[in-house]
Amino acid sequence: MSKELNIWLDNLLSDIESVQFQRRNSRRVRVDVGSEALPALLELLQGRASYVHLSAITCVDWIEDGQFELVYHVWSYETRSLVSVHTRIPRDPGVYLSIYDLYQPAAFFERDIHEMYGLYFEGSPDMEKFILTEWNGPPPMRKDFDGEAFVNEHFHWEQYHPQWLKDLEEEGGGITVRPEDVR
Amino acid sequence: MSNELENIPIRQELEVLQSGQKRTNPLANVFDGLVKFCRSRSMFMLHYCTGCGAIELPPAMTSRFDMERLGIQPMVTPRQADILLITGYVSIKTLKRIILTYEQMGSPKYVIGICSCTVNGGMYWQSYATAKVLRDYLPVDVYIAGCMPRPEAVISGLRELMEDISSGRAESWKKYYQHYDYYLGNQQKLFGEDWQTPTDIIAEARHYDLMTEHTLGEHTALLEKHQKPLEALEMRLSVKDKQKV
Ligand code: SF4
Repeated sequence: MSKELNIWLDNLLSDIESVQFQRRNSRRVRVDVGSEALPALLELLQGRASYVHLSAITCVDWIEDGQFELVYHVWSYETRSLVSVHTRIPRDPGVYLSIYDLYQPAAFFERDIHEMYGLYFEGSPDMEKFILTEWNGPPPMRKDFDGEAFVNEHFHWEQYHPQWLKDLEEEGGGITVRPEDVR
Repeated sequence: MSNELENIPIRQELEVLQSGQKRTNPLANVFDGLVKFCRSRSMFMLHYCTGCGAIELPPAMTSRFDMERLGIQPMVTPRQADILLITGYVSIKTLKRIILTYEQMGSPKYVIGICSCTVNGGMYWQSYATAKVLRDYLPVDVYIAGCMPRPEAVISGLRELMEDISSGRAESWKKYYQHYDYYLGNQQKLFGEDWQTPTDIIAEARHYDLMTEHTLGEHTALLEKHQKPLEALEMRLSVKDKQKV
């Protein structure tokens, strides 16, 4: 049964236009799909092909393309394979549909992504702060948030200039390559 | 209330003991030395496992390296602990809890910062979420650097602290009272102007007679401006009508 289901799924997915389908190995499939079609595809996967387990939703910020990429990882206990559904949505305004009605654990992932990337999921039950409850800055995982500048503005550094280094410097030596130079 | 506290006779004894001055009575000096020695040999440690460095503590505490043979034991509450062990990176959220915990500990108290992350941010130096230099926010007695320091290093750091206590050098807890304005200023910079803890440090500084010109300042003035009085939490009981007999 499960073998058949896999073949059936492969055939179906490779037949649909606008869906790019790649089978990596017997247990991993990558599907690229337009953002309009994603909920329908997930519904199909969940229903007929028994991809009932949503493992994670991940987000990638493609700042140069002005896009967010969302990856939905769904697992089927029957076919024992993981389908990663990739989709891209415009970075601005950064709003997408929640899949909470299909997969309830999505509420957790969507809330997390909302907090870290500022992406809003319509229909998600809770878009409140999650981990960064005491954070007032911009969503920190966005590429346009400059962590280093933030750190330099808010913190200072302990100066480390021990005696052995001073001794070296007196003899004409010292640090030749600083971490800043090689970065 | 404060008058009553000031009349507690033990205060003066403590003061001399803690200021490290010699007393005129030679027997008293012997006694002071004994107290310091005993204090350094019986320490209760509150290990606040903030970061990955905490993973080196179980071997340091248990049979492999056994810090109990040095008289150091884990303790579960801040009120009954002498040492606050901060093991690794401190996120800003955690730092608030650390300060609350530290302020609740009874004096004399000692802080050990384990791991490079507590010294200068360590490998999280670039992270928006972690505080970098722990001793900006509360006085640290001993730093144990390393990523992560092995149990041997932890034990040697603890021995150093014991040494410092018995020789009267580990006095950083006084600094918190004496320079409260400085520490509070750094805390406010990170947590916002209305940062407040349930412990009244200024009153405690008065009680220990550790007020200096650095205890109060612009930051404590800011604290006073924003301070909300502490109120007891409300508890209500409701009883359903008893069945009539
Ligand atoms: S110094 Fe290393 S081991 Fe310690 S908390 Fe930082 S990253 Fe973790």
